[in-house]
Amino acid sequence: MNYTFDFNAVSFAPLLRGLVVSLELTAAANIIGIVAGFGLALLLMSPYRLVRTPFMLFVEFFRCTPAIVQIVWIFYCVPMLFDVFLDPITVGIMALGLNLTAFNAEAYRASIQAVPKEQLDAGIALGLNPLQRVLYIVFPTAFRASVPVLLTNGIVIFQQSALVAIVAIADLMYEGKSLATETYRPIETFTIVALIYFAVSFPVTQIVGLLERGRQLLAS
Amino acid sequence: MSLDFSVLARFEHALFLGLMTTLQLTAVCILLGCSLGFLVGLARTSRSKALRFVSGIYVEFFRGTPVLIQLFWIFFCLPLILGVELTNFVSGVVALTLYMGAITSETFRASLNSIGPEQVDACVALGLPRRVQVTSVVLPQAVLRAVPTLLSNCVSLFKESALVSAVGMADLMFVGQNISNNTARPVEVLTIVALIYFVIAFPLTRGVTLVEARILKKLAI
Repeated sequence: MNYTFDFNAVSFAPLLRGLVVSLELTAAANIIGIVAGFGLALLLMSPYRLVRTPFMLFVEFFRCTPAIVQIVWIFYCVPMLFDVFLDPITVGIMALGLNLTAFNAEAYRASIQAVPKEQLDAGIALGLNPLQRVLYIVFPTAFRASVPVLLTNGIVIFQQSALVAIVAIADLMYEGKSLATETYRPIETFTIVALIYFAVSFPVTQIVGLLERGRQLLAS
Repeated sequence: MSLDFSVLARFEHALFLGLMTTLQLTAVCILLGCSLGFLVGLARTSRSKALRFVSGIYVEFFRGTPVLIQLFWIFFCLPLILGVELTNFVSGVVALTLYMGAITSETFRASLNSIGPEQVDACVALGLPRRVQVTSVVLPQAVLRAVPTLLSNCVSLFKESALVSAVGMADLMFVGQNISNNTARPVEVLTIVALIYFVIAFPLTRGVTLVEARILKKLAI
């Protein structure tokens, strides 16, 4: 290989600008996902099939199609269908937020259903009414159990946020792509971009690992 | 606005070819990726510190960066580094195989770790040699336990394969975007594309639940 590396060709200012956009998208999507995901999880567990089914379809649809298809679909079709003009960042937040809502709802549902039956029995024995049982036993236990999955989903959305580059939102990936084309330095640029993504994701995955190990220790 | 799905009839064949590319790419990468993942999973549970370290870095890196950047890196940088031209398909296979290898290795690692120490103790008590322990006791159970997660890994790979459209490979997504640009009918075309992906991925995810509920329970492992 006779390629001379030149990492000086890569200017960091646009990459940092892009990173800020990526982080903003991630943060907004996570706020939507954590809040709306919880509501959606409750709807998914509704005793009425008529309520459950449409929301199940929503979740399955987001879980079973590629995120890039969702983003491109929302980007092109929502403005046409509803005859509104949305600025690209809003569209990006909407797409990522809806996607995360679907995944988080599943996480909440799984952890609510995983609350051991003995705990509820204990609640009955203590004379708590159904609402108290849900508020004081189910939700706190379930929420704590879902934290690792929520964090994982949150960081997956950070990685998926790179997809908005395809619809020309100036995130980290997009800035990296333009920089690579401008400077003719794809190796250096893409390596640095990958390292930036890694530097943000890796600590979070480590924290998730620690949390899970802690939970296992507590459980054993 | 009025919807007109009849425009799609003209592009039936193109969409079909795109879907075939997607499926081929996915199938090849599932085979290569699972094999790679199995080896890496073994490396991550091995006793050699160096092996664990190297395989750990590989897995963390591929799980910690967006698949899109991995694809771009391999499409644009690998040919420069190797000094050879790679076809679209080869680069796509390399990128998605490395991704699949990383995620399946975690699956295999978890299932290898889930084989309790008492089983190994039992093997020792029975006087089984180390090789028999691995091939007849640990591996069959580990592979069976990995099946549900491997299936969801395959669904993830199928979905991630849509990213190759971003580097100009004519898969289902790419064909769909082209048609939608040419006909100016994004709503119809993109909806159909999304539905095609859904129709394939959804039964697979149901399959995961089925395998978990029925087969594994029956085998009691």
